[in-house]
Amino acid sequence: MAETKPKTNENYDGIDAIARNPLYVGLAIGILAAIVQLLLISAGGPEAYGFCVACHTRDVVNVAVNDIFGTKLAVAAISQNAILPVMTVVGVLIGAFISARGYEEFRTKTGSAASYTGHLLGGIFFMIFALFMGGCPYRLALRIGYGDVVAFIGVIAIVIGVLIGIKIATNLAERED
Amino acid sequence: MVLAGILSKETAVIAVPIVTLILGVIIGWLGQRSGFCSIGGFRDFFMWKHTRLLYGYLALIAGAFIGYLAFKFIFPSAFEGFFWALNKGLMPVPGAPANLTVVAYIVLAIIGGIAVGLMGVIIGGCPLRQLVMTAEGNLKSLFFVIGMCVGAVVYTMFVSGWGVALLKAAGLA
Repeated sequence: MAETKPKTNENYDGIDAIARNPLYVGLAIGILAAIVQLLLISAGGPEAYGFCVACHTRDVVNVAVNDIFGTKLAVAAISQNAILPVMTVVGVLIGAFISARGYEEFRTKTGSAASYTGHLLGGIFFMIFALFMGGCPYRLALRIGYGDVVAFIGVIAIVIGVLIGIKIATNLAERED
Repeated sequence: MVLAGILSKETAVIAVPIVTLILGVIIGWLGQRSGFCSIGGFRDFFMWKHTRLLYGYLALIAGAFIGYLAFKFIFPSAFEGFFWALNKGLMPVPGAPANLTVVAYIVLAIIGGIAVGLMGVIIGGCPLRQLVMTAEGNLKSLFFVIGMCVGAVVYTMFVSGWGVALLKAAGLA
């Protein structure tokens, strides 16, 4: 468990200062994803698959469902061939939990039943469209780095989606005023 | 084209869960410290001109490019597809439903991208942010993650087939 740090806004030293800057974090994730491909690509494709929340969740869930119910849901070749599927998503939950606990940022936040339902449906909706696109925004970034033009089109579409979302959100906010 | 990494196939199939778990822990820790969020980056930029998270996402693209380029020189057989567009033109890296035409992939990328961006703004974060917030104790995000798990099965069992059939009916695939 990481040691606890005093909670101030300035005093971040060494590695924590780097870990708090999204610029370095983005660079690190990109290079780590390339290292993962360097190590593991022999186990099976696809390429530029080092980190993806949507696809890796799909692999873990589908392999688990296949094992429990004997179904044959499709997963990526790397998760099909390996002894266990890609565990990145599980790792993210563990790493973020250790970090949140270590820096005393763990807070239980609850919501209304309606917000839970909204998030549940949002997750289903999000996953379906992300998988049609062939990845979440993170894998799109890796694919752009790998030289994929369609992934670039996908990110432009995400920007359009974000602009539509902002428009809807501001319109709703104005109506409430 | 046979892709071969540093580890042999026999070792790699055992190493997959271990290496990806370690990768996940590192990304989870970094994501928790920095509040890294891809869709949040675009949202903050267009709403408030904040560039902190947006630079993070652009750095991710740059980092991936630098990583793939550097390791391509050191160990070419693991990165034979790089630089993809020079070898394969407009065809995307596999991952979306297989065996479609370029036009169908572009249509899927546009529809999927708009839906993902819209949903990310409404829910308040991209999937990585939702995972990190779940680990920070946010129960709403936990329901989003459960929704993602349900969505994965629903997609694989029904929706991907429907989507491809729809594209074929529209003459795109």
